[in-house]
Amino acid sequence: MHSAHQADVIFGLSPVLFAGSLFVLTYLLIITERLNRAIIAMTAAALMIIGGVLTQEAAVQGVDFNTIGLLTGMMIIVGITRDSGVFQYLAIRSAKVVKADPWGILVMLMLVTALLSALLDNVTTVLLIAPITLLITDTLKISAYPYLFAEIFASNIGGTATLIGDPPNIMIGSATGLGYNDFLFNLAPIAIVILIITIIPIYFIWGRHLKADAELIEKVMQYREIDAIKDWVLLKKSLFVMTMVMIGFIVGHDYGYQPATIAMFGAAVLLTLNCLPHDQEKQTELVAKTLGDVEWITIFFFIGLFILVYGVESTGILESLAHQVIELTDGDKTVTAISILFVSAVASAIVDNIPFVATMIPLIKNMAASFGGAEELLPIWWSLALGACLGGNGSLVGASANLIVAGFAERSGQPIRFLPFMLMAFPMMLVSVMISAVYVYFRYF
Amino acid sequence: MNASEAMDPNPTTLKPSDTIECAAEYIMKNRYRNLPVVDENFCYVGMFGVNCLLKQVIPKAVFLPQGLENVSFIHESFEDLFHRFSEVKDQPISICMSKEIEPVAPDTPLTETMMQLYKTRASIPVVEEGTCKLLGMISYWEIGEKILAAGGPKDA
Repeated sequence: MHSAHQADVIFGLSPVLFAGSLFVLTYLLIITERLNRAIIAMTAAALMIIGGVLTQEAAVQGVDFNTIGLLTGMMIIVGITRDSGVFQYLAIRSAKVVKADPWGILVMLMLVTALLSALLDNVTTVLLIAPITLLITDTLKISAYPYLFAEIFASNIGGTATLIGDPPNIMIGSATGLGYNDFLFNLAPIAIVILIITIIPIYFIWGRHLKADAELIEKVMQYREIDAIKDWVLLKKSLFVMTMVMIGFIVGHDYGYQPATIAMFGAAVLLTLNCLPHDQEKQTELVAKTLGDVEWITIFFFIGLFILVYGVESTGILESLAHQVIELTDGDKTVTAISILFVSAVASAIVDNIPFVATMIPLIKNMAASFGGAEELLPIWWSLALGACLGGNGSLVGASANLIVAGFAERSGQPIRFLPFMLMAFPMMLVSVMISAVYVYFRYF
Repeated sequence: MNASEAMDPNPTTLKPSDTIECAAEYIMKNRYRNLPVVDENFCYVGMFGVNCLLKQVIPKAVFLPQGLENVSFIHESFEDLFHRFSEVKDQPISICMSKEIEPVAPDTPLTETMMQLYKTRASIPVVEEGTCKLLGMISYWEIGEKILAAGGPKDA
């Protein structure tokens, strides 16, 4: 609690009532998608201060700059690397490795999507992979639907595997001090298992029917992936910096370096390498373009949410909720972890997982005393990460990447409808969560 | 001077139901870049031109918003392009006509009309205010000829 920041009376309401009502209203507005989510979060944050729940100084303390820095840094690095054409190269190469066999391409694009989602953010990954997918399926004259469906699943599963793969993991890592290796060792193994198992129903539903004419397959084989690389010098610089950043994530934790420091330093180095050969005017143009590519909507959404949740936390609502959750589960850590896993998954399928996780983090932190200290919360953190990331597969609105893919599908004349998608995806998501529950139970209890 | 004095009052037009093949042959034969499309009431509904044809023969993934920016890895022949064109040639031109070119009103001042022409970089339709009736077209050629003619006959 941060009661030192609170005023006694806010618009004649108690702080609990004001902050609680504002929080619920903000959630409802985010769900309706009537207004851009960054505007909603920023307005809610401002009202927390104007309403007297937080002072401006307290609000700034509530912003997790490690999450913001990591997100921004990675967006800059990926934005520059993308211009080299390396991601297109990977997608085309993967299609040709399997001799452009339609089912083989689906599996390979799933694997590439999962791998890239583990290293980049999911939205960037699908923005890179979906257009190539549409090109290939258009050339092969086959439906893009199974491919796009599989890529949605792969992006959310791949994102689960690492600290930087999905915003919920970034937030959990930042709030708990868990590092890149912790996520890799605890979540990557189960993410790989889930990815493999997910391929099975996709094969039986669509994969076994995928066929294309030999002549059209030959057209895909004629793509020259090497020509997708637009800038070899940039490619070398980007791969060098990305490798250094990954190494930094792996070893930096032991030296006390936060992921945000490593990502922002990597971004600064890559910007320098990219700009150095150019004159002042061109440098300004390159920096403006790179910074313009950062998803500022996401960044400001995060900032607003952090302040909103910090305000709610300061009133003691989340502490009280935490006690209620523990009472509901009779203080049993196993039941609590598995419940959080399933609740997170279902909630993340319905609402954006970012505000959900932002709320759950302080709530879970408040359980530490009941479970014997922060160390004892580890299985609960992994349950939250698995539930929030995998839950994104449950519906079309479960993750931003899903909506991006749906947008591509719509514009290409092969729309992914909300209900048919959910009828197929929700049970598959539940299976992945059940597998996670078994994993959490046997590994941590 | 205004747009109505600068326009060609009898422009060649297409119908939304004309096939892409038919319209393509016509604009290729007569070297048009764009032609206005009007319905049965001579109401302006859009423009059809060479850009629309190009769009039909290039992979769709290129034209999607946030689509493929780099297509240097695709190597195709004229036969490949024709094959793609033949898949849509019987479709009506309404599926790909451009609605982005803003028409001007007949009383639009000449300078504003010229600015519009410069920005659009294509012939612009003149449409009756309050209705959608096409009154004429303004092209670079008409404007160019009229500007040069304004200087009077050249001395021998």
